[in-house]
Amino acid sequence: MSNEDKPFTIDLRQLKSRNKDGSPQVVQRVDAAGEGLGFVDRSAKKQRGRRPSPRTGQVHAKVLPHVAEEIGNEARRRGVQQGVVIEDAWALYVKANNPD
Amino acid sequence: MPVIVVASPKGGAGKSTTAVVLGTEMAHAGAEVVLLDCDPNRSISLWAERRPPPPRITVQSDVSEAEIVRTIKRYDADGRVVIVDLEGVASRLVSRAISQADLVLTPMRATTLDATIGIRALSLVAEEEEALGRPIRQAVVFTMTRAVKSKQHTAIEASLLGQGVDVVQPPLMERSAFSALFEFGGDLRSIPAQGRMEAAIGNAALFAAEIYKRLVEKAA
Repeated sequence: MSNEDKPFTIDLRQLKSRNKDGSPQVVQRVDAAGEGLGFVDRSAKKQRGRRPSPRTGQVHAKVLPHVAEEIGNEARRRGVQQGVVIEDAWALYVKANNPD
Repeated sequence: MPVIVVASPKGGAGKSTTAVVLGTEMAHAGAEVVLLDCDPNRSISLWAERRPPPPRITVQSDVSEAEIVRTIKRYDADGRVVIVDLEGVASRLVSRAISQADLVLTPMRATTLDATIGIRALSLVAEEEEALGRPIRQAVVFTMTRAVKSKQHTAIEASLLGQGVDVVQPPLMERSAFSALFEFGGDLRSIPAQGRMEAAIGNAALFAAEIYKRLVEKAA
């Protein structure tokens, strides 16, 4: 048999779409049928907890709620990330403690 | 369009190989084929990345449980075949995909372990037929078989046939050409020669012809 030979040919007219119900009610019934046999939800779950900062890749240190709120408000007012406010505060701290 | 769901909760049964062999042979025979890769291992996507898929084949990757029913319906059109490749686990994604199937194909190696776990897919199909109130055709294909049938193979096949299970003939034999598809991409006619290519092509084409026959036969 040469590589170009086709042992069978597909008649496209015979490949007909068949109506299959995919409504939420049907999906619910199918889920229930599957769960009875151990076919359960195994989709990847989102990780819990604080997401890393998109700017630094770090998870920020946690502070008391009223401080977090004040930092958040100041960051929003300036249109910067909260980390920028903390970096400014750290710069002031370093300056205050290292006068030279 | 006929939807073929390749399902077995057993890993390593040959699902992705079956899907690629079937998809490429059907495309070669003239069908428009859509391959849906629902396996997090992304075997079909890796195959498609090796080289552009052959003509008439479209691959969609990373189809999740939440999207599977919608995605199958999106490709629903006359003259096409959708082949769904699933992960080898018992998941809700599997049961949802089966709900949209015209044919569920369960590949299994001729071992007791594969048969024991693979049979769960057949049970699920039966359960869904009842839940949906419509028949869903199903078939088993033995994969990675040898020229000389083992005693285990003979016994498992006899047991399945005795229970009225449709067993596809020919099985997909163990051939280096089938595994090489994932190394080179493309189809059996475009990859560099691996072993007895004519025999591999013949095996794949006869297998695909048998599946096509099942797709166009009127539901029993």
